[in-house]
Amino acid sequence: MSAILEVRGVGRRFGGLAALSAVSLAVAEGRTLGVIGPNGAGKSTLVNVVTGHLKPTSGRVLIDGRDLTGARPWTIAKAGVARTFQVVKPFRGMTVRENVMVAAVYGAGAGSRTTAAARRAADEVIERVGLAEHADRAPAELPVAVARRLELARALALRPRLLLLDEVLAGLRPAEIGPALELIRGLAADGMTIVIVEHVVRAIVAVSDEVLVLNEGKVLTSGPPDQVMSDPRVIEAYLGHRYAQRHLESGGGAGPVGGTS
Amino acid sequence: MRAAATARRAPGDGTGGGRYTRYGRYGPWAAGAAAVLAAIALQSQLYVGQERVVGSVFMFIVLAQGWNLIGGFAGYASFGQVVFFGLGGYTTAVLMAHARWPYWPALAVSGLVAAAFGALIGTPLLRLRGHYFAIATLGVAEGTREVVNNLTGLTGGGAGITVPTFGARATTAYLGEDGFYLLFLALAALALATAGLVTRSRFGLALRAIHQDEDAAASMGINTTRAKVSAFALSGLLGGLAGSAYTFQLVTVYPENMFDVSITVLMVIMVVIGGSGTLLGPLLGAVALQFISEWLRQSFTEAHTFILGAIIVVVVIVMPEGAVTYLREARRGRGFSPLANIRRYRL
Amino acid sequence: MSTFFQATLNGVLQGGLFALIAVGFSLVWGVMNVVNLAHGSFVVLGAYVAWELSNHAGIDPFLGMVGSAAALFALGYLIQRGLVNLVVNAPIFITLLLTFGLDLVLVQGMNIVFTGDFQAIRTSYASRGIGLPGGVQVPLGRLLTFAVAVAVTLALVALMGRTRTGLAIMATGMDRGAARLMGIRARHVYALTFGIAAGLAGAAGAMIGTVGTFHPADAARYTLISFVIAVLGGLGNMYGALAGGVVIGLAESWAGQYLSGTWSNAVAFAVLVVVLLVRPTGLIGRAFYEARQEA
Repeated sequence: MSAILEVRGVGRRFGGLAALSAVSLAVAEGRTLGVIGPNGAGKSTLVNVVTGHLKPTSGRVLIDGRDLTGARPWTIAKAGVARTFQVVKPFRGMTVRENVMVAAVYGAGAGSRTTAAARRAADEVIERVGLAEHADRAPAELPVAVARRLELARALALRPRLLLLDEVLAGLRPAEIGPALELIRGLAADGMTIVIVEHVVRAIVAVSDEVLVLNEGKVLTSGPPDQVMSDPRVIEAYLGHRYAQRHLESGGGAGPVGGTS
Repeated sequence: MRAAATARRAPGDGTGGGRYTRYGRYGPWAAGAAAVLAAIALQSQLYVGQERVVGSVFMFIVLAQGWNLIGGFAGYASFGQVVFFGLGGYTTAVLMAHARWPYWPALAVSGLVAAAFGALIGTPLLRLRGHYFAIATLGVAEGTREVVNNLTGLTGGGAGITVPTFGARATTAYLGEDGFYLLFLALAALALATAGLVTRSRFGLALRAIHQDEDAAASMGINTTRAKVSAFALSGLLGGLAGSAYTFQLVTVYPENMFDVSITVLMVIMVVIGGSGTLLGPLLGAVALQFISEWLRQSFTEAHTFILGAIIVVVVIVMPEGAVTYLREARRGRGFSPLANIRRYRL
Repeated sequence: MSTFFQATLNGVLQGGLFALIAVGFSLVWGVMNVVNLAHGSFVVLGAYVAWELSNHAGIDPFLGMVGSAAALFALGYLIQRGLVNLVVNAPIFITLLLTFGLDLVLVQGMNIVFTGDFQAIRTSYASRGIGLPGGVQVPLGRLLTFAVAVAVTLALVALMGRTRTGLAIMATGMDRGAARLMGIRARHVYALTFGIAAGLAGAAGAMIGTVGTFHPADAARYTLISFVIAVLGGLGNMYGALAGGVVIGLAESWAGQYLSGTWSNAVAFAVLVVVLLVRPTGLIGRAFYEARQEA
């Protein structure tokens, strides 16, 4: 199996708290995996472990078959894995374009050798994510939705083979979610392998080939979106036991897809 | 020099090659060369005492540029930077006094020893952030001074160590006031050129990214550990060279003055006054502060540190971003308002 | 063996005093993320206040320390309100430089007013000793200062945990934004915290003056000691300051006994660097959220 990302039995403890335990998953080239779960389920910890910002306390992380367990973030980035941060982390002293150029200069492979090349690469990505009109602005001036696009632009400028999106829809107004999803779907259509970690369940279903549900640091279930969404255990994890029962009794089959949870 | 200052934050900044489009690629180098020639021309107009003061300005340009690499660019406020100055000085003194080396190779080795020490302590210390890094470096500097103080066989301990500079025992003849003026000038030019190269290189871009968000920098593929340690070693190199020249000039040095924490503080305040993370800031700050403090020393023998302290307090409150930043903003027509600066950081 | 016991006893007694020196510094760092490099000069200034009270009014230093604490509290409150609050949100080297500038002003001011000579506050009883079996001597003055230092530190713990003011300080330290929403005036709270820290430093200075000598140049040493203890004990952790003080007191005392030359001066730094590398958050953990970023 030609998985770009393979996570084998990964666990991560913080003191006495197991944020992740025995999590396994695999993402094949060109596929989109959605990871959902309630607050504190370990979604961001999973992203941080895969991208080297946290070392796992057990298990293995393989990228393109290479064992990169506990490798530093820049090694992971050089191996072709890009990520966005849930709390945006722009370089505040640089313009939007300069932010993206940093990624273009240091990205996977050799990166852009000259200023001109980096600038061209950055402008291409900026155009693609719809940031052109903001290119010369300072990150502090950007509204949330635009700041999230900057996160995405920097990740894309790395020319990654695998893209990890950590709650890129958080804080967006309903009207802003549609275009953002359109963008992600476009990337997937171009063959990008994507892991999207989300709180907005409906969004995940719309873009994912497969969905994995985390709860209390463990994999609750995984599979095709429809199947996962109608799993009573998933409904329960999200909305509590009582709601799940009522929901099933009333014959609702579509799962907990009431929009943002 | 002006050209360099204004072009620095132009769009496309920091990615190496072709950044000085408005002023031509060689403009800053030409300006730098002109400044060096002007400084050489100035020398013949100075009295011996003035020569020494201007020489000390050059020395602080080296030290301030060094601090700026790690503190200004990378954002790691080292409060033990004097350790490189002291190590460089003592390396020179020991090589000349005990191993009978001539000065010039001792100068080179002193710089390298300080740089190696920077890489050695940087690897563990640069994992610390904020105040912890600041004070850990301070601890290393104070601890190193005590080590030098106690290795009496090698360093002479508290009694000091004397470089053989005169008569038949001299390994290299004393350079004299004129010679030291030129030596410090050359080192200052080297420091400026180094800072200039860093500013326009990929390396400089990496340091700025680390300063602004280290996690994001790492996930952009920047090896943050290597970049930080390199910056620290490079700042150590500059500090070591300055300490070596200073030791040769003073002839006899003591641990208390070679590892004096106030030298570190002078570097920091010079960078802050001038503008941290800029190319010209440390230069302006070193010139301004060193002249002011010399003038205070001569005019108010007793109260000069008192006044210097008061100046630091006022400057830090009124212009925490440094002169270069305010000049740049003033040129863009935003003016300069001390109240605006206070509003930015007050509670 | 008795030299060992003597050194240990001296270290513990000195450690209590160190704790009182450091506890305010640790509190300021923990609550407002300011490393006050002028802290040591507050200590020395407190010693001078008690010294003046003793010389001119014949006030016993254990009473005079109240005067020292009050004077330094006022000075600390004003410095925070008028100066430090103006740069509290700036990058750390700005606050470091500001307080270093203050330190220069205070130390040099004391040099001008009091000269750089060593001084001591004389009492009829401080140098008396209580003999223990085995030839170990307990100096009365040091025993008293130890007791007072520990009592004041414990009183501070009570103040922080039980009073409105203390709770406001702790709340502001945990989350300034949230504290503000609850109607706590952060500016005033910060100034109070800084004032309390300076007051404690002043009291510590008065006691240093009764059991030893002092002069303006000692300020840097007390600042460094405070830093080491704050890191050891955890920021804003008052019991931690006590423990850290005793650790440093013992380390210095043993080093002074068993190492030659001036190596003992390096001991505190060695402890500091090792602790920072092994456990950057201190030995005992800290009283405030670890998650709060050091800017």
